[in-house]
Amino acid sequence: MSDNPEDLRQWRLPRGRHGLPRELVERSQRERLLAAVVRVTATNGYESTTVGDILGEAGVGRETFYELFDDKLDCMLAAHKILIDALEEQVRAAYSEQGPWPERVRKALAVTLEWFAADPQAARFTLVELSTVGPAFRAIFQSEYARFTRLLDEGLGDDGPDPELSRATGLAVGAIMARIYEEVVLGKAAELPRLLPGLTYELLVPFVGEEVARAEQRRAGG
Amino acid sequence: MIQRQRNSQPSSPILRPTLPIDLASQSQRQRILDAMIESCAEKTYPATTISDIVSRAHISRTTFYKHFGDKRACFDAAIDFCIAELQGVAAASHSPDDTPGEAARMAATAVVEALAARPGLAQMLAGDAMAVDPAVIERYRKATVPALEALWSGDGRAQAHTDPRLAFGQAQVLILNQIATGRSNRLPELLPEIVYLTVSPFGGHDEALRQSRLAAKTEIGGVASR
Repeated sequence: MSDNPEDLRQWRLPRGRHGLPRELVERSQRERLLAAVVRVTATNGYESTTVGDILGEAGVGRETFYELFDDKLDCMLAAHKILIDALEEQVRAAYSEQGPWPERVRKALAVTLEWFAADPQAARFTLVELSTVGPAFRAIFQSEYARFTRLLDEGLGDDGPDPELSRATGLAVGAIMARIYEEVVLGKAAELPRLLPGLTYELLVPFVGEEVARAEQRRAGG
Repeated sequence: MIQRQRNSQPSSPILRPTLPIDLASQSQRQRILDAMIESCAEKTYPATTISDIVSRAHISRTTFYKHFGDKRACFDAAIDFCIAELQGVAAASHSPDDTPGEAARMAATAVVEALAARPGLAQMLAGDAMAVDPAVIERYRKATVPALEALWSGDGRAQAHTDPRLAFGQAQVLILNQIATGRSNRLPELLPEIVYLTVSPFGGHDEALRQSRLAAKTEIGGVASR
């Protein structure tokens, strides 16, 4: 076995009687499987990934896998949920800071771009591989879209602008999804933070008009 | 017995067949493409089999392979067909007298109505196509962005206010969401936003809002008159 700390098998618990509670053992196995499914599908693609590949990467037995998950897709969806929950939490934190609404939007956007840039594998997994799972994808797409649109809507609050376009927040979320998706597909996730100034402008303009959007774009460094 | 002679002399021009000589073959090919589109809409591309297509199109397997090498080639041809259809709809929707903003609004309206009339096609373009081959975005863009830019470049080069590629992605996300929530027949509800996105890259925010308001009125009028 390698000494590479990236090797998930290093986290395997010792065999035999270690006296660790069952919950801890299960948690360790589950965490390794979730990390493994992201890694393997991001590298090989959803179609060509087998449960065996995930087991090999995680160092977990087949029987354990099926105790924890129904199948490959179930495991994938569990990992997806954890990742997107974490992203939402960070975005929400940045968006609920004190400050004028355009500034809060810029900060939330910056956090989003950095989150995907920091982990290109997770980015590829959540955006690209998930879209290939078939009909199940439509429901996931719809729920993620709704949840981030709601987040942006709620934060409009009292000081936020009243956009003329009724789906302006949906457009903003769509802009981010479309732009990030594209960079990730091209394998350029790490460069995402560079898009902050331009995206800040495009996201704000339907709400606040050209002048205010331009000013916020300059604050973003553009 | 008198041997009937086959005459290779041209018949009278009036009586010459006017239908294309490969009519049957063209109609078969079209049926195959339609079957591919509808099957993808119903069960997605990965789940679609050649047998599905063959039975929907009422053709034989042999006929399928006469037209297409494999499932993927058929899918690619279906995408090309959809793009060409929508390009035609957009081009026919406005005249050279319209201002760029008006022309863009009419083109967007015509395309959205065409998609609403055929939800399967919308679903395939916005959803499946991306999953099968993300590079398909490039094909969409080549079909739309230069045509839009040309509307504004009548007197010199069109200046981009915002990234047209981004607007395209936004429109796509809106449409995909409408489909994912089972409202593909209500795509025209998105018209104000789609028109905004179509006009804003080259027309700017203010003109985009103006055209979007006009589209909102048309949409309400359209619903009321039904």
